[in-house]
Amino acid sequence: MISLSAKVCLLGDYAVGKTSLVRRFVYNMFEDKYLSTIGVKVSRKVVAVPRDEDVVELTLMLWDLAGSEEFDRIRASYLRGAAGALIVCDLTQRSTLDSIHEYARQMTEVNPRATLVLAANKCDLVEQRVVQEGEISAIAGELKAPCYLTSAKVGVAVDEAFRHLGRLAVGQ
Amino acid sequence: MLDREPSSPEDPCTSPQVVLRDRRIVYAVTDRELHVQQLSGALKVLQSDAASWLGKSLLDLVPELLGSEDALEGILAGVLSRLEIPWVNRDDDSGNTAYLTLVDLPCRDSTGAIVGLIHVMQDVTEGGVLEQQLMQHRNDLRLLEKAQREQNAQLRAANTELRRLDEAKSTFVSLAAHELRTPLASITGYVEMLLDGDAGPLNAAQTEYLSTIDASTQRLLRITRDLLDVARIESGRLQLSLQTVNLRALLAEVTVEQKPQLDARSQQIHLIAPDDIPPALVDPQRTIQVVSNLISNASKYAPAGTTITVNLQEADAEPGFLCVAVTDEGDGVPAEDQSLLFRPFFRGTSAQITGIPGTGLGLYIAQSLVELHGGHISLESRAGVGATFAATFPMAIGIT
Repeated sequence: MISLSAKVCLLGDYAVGKTSLVRRFVYNMFEDKYLSTIGVKVSRKVVAVPRDEDVVELTLMLWDLAGSEEFDRIRASYLRGAAGALIVCDLTQRSTLDSIHEYARQMTEVNPRATLVLAANKCDLVEQRVVQEGEISAIAGELKAPCYLTSAKVGVAVDEAFRHLGRLAVGQ
Repeated sequence: MLDREPSSPEDPCTSPQVVLRDRRIVYAVTDRELHVQQLSGALKVLQSDAASWLGKSLLDLVPELLGSEDALEGILAGVLSRLEIPWVNRDDDSGNTAYLTLVDLPCRDSTGAIVGLIHVMQDVTEGGVLEQQLMQHRNDLRLLEKAQREQNAQLRAANTELRRLDEAKSTFVSLAAHELRTPLASITGYVEMLLDGDAGPLNAAQTEYLSTIDASTQRLLRITRDLLDVARIESGRLQLSLQTVNLRALLAEVTVEQKPQLDARSQQIHLIAPDDIPPALVDPQRTIQVVSNLISNASKYAPAGTTITVNLQEADAEPGFLCVAVTDEGDGVPAEDQSLLFRPFFRGTSAQITGIPGTGLGLYIAQSLVELHGGHISLESRAGVGATFAATFPMAIGIT
């Protein structure tokens, strides 16, 4: 079995649930309390990814980056060498859609071949949802990125989103 | 002047190990293949001793460098001067977050050739914890602001919708009342003609039935008039026709008009008004409407055989205003009803219990009319002692 590693970054505004998505994917846990991330927290998870007729053992190095605007200036230093990014927005906060294109631009500027996956998080909060699936699909279409409606809280589509990103990274 | 001698290189306070410890710095020197050749300093978050690092790949020991291989090669090739990764989060043994700054620099030999890397790792947890707390407060505040903005927008939208519904309601009420008034006036006219015998003599039963129809029609007319007034008040279309009026004479006229209702309940009315009261600047029809309403209310809510007093005087607390106070000898207004009494369609507890007729519009209209005059209406009541409704109207000062 071939072993590979790939650095993937989580990008998105503050409080959209980036840390929670990593926590759910790596440890299958969820913490309801919001804790702001400063800088970067690197976690790793090994996944088996099919490639051609083989299976690749892929070590995903997950870079959970601070979403606050105070880190805009140093974000590029974290993006260096990333194979892809999971760009996260919050279905209950319309304003978190506004910066998706900017995160995608930052990522592809540093890594032109980087692959992107869009995660519209907090899909479990149905009554608070202010963003429709069609709007997310439209943005994903513009970015040519697959998109997932995720919930770190209940574990919906979290694995799928990260594994899809892994497959794209391996395919590079 | 220094208070101590400069330290010697051997001084334990300034030895490189102490400096590294105090500044919480670890550095590793690697060869060109990134294998650790030397390690100095110690950090809790490394979770291993220095000896275990020697000979191992820097990439295995510092997972945050994975993905940065191109940058490290750039440093080894001399095309990149340094690689810095600030604010790296690591969990320590106790589960707390430690913050590190990672810096990679070229390691050169005496000839200046790059022979490996110097990897510097500094524990900046103290600053990181403060920075994280600051960021937490900022982000919590931003989330609150965002939630408040969204809530305000929702409230504005709800308010606009309520206003639209309120306008639609007022328009409907106005149209309905207007359409009812014409046929009601026709019914009243024909009933009066029948009662006057214009269509021939009536027997006692016919007279009684027609009188009942007449009383009910009059009541319906009053309700439609009130509804039209409410619609005008709420749309701001109600206008006053102000005149200089002798309020004493006007009140005397109203008390006479109200006498049949009072007589029906064996009630007396007593007007107290000084002869030299200054004239008022009011709309006489609307003022009659206000005072009639107050007297009618007093009559309805006071027991039979009691006296209603109408008192006219200059308003003590409002210079330039006259005060008309209507006092009854009823049970008074319950405290819990007093603040609600001037709301449209509010019916007091006693009205609901005793079935006293009314729409709950009279006092709302009276208050609106008084306020249109620039005055105000108030209530003083104590249980078992009766109630006094006082309305103020402007004096006609300097108007001839």
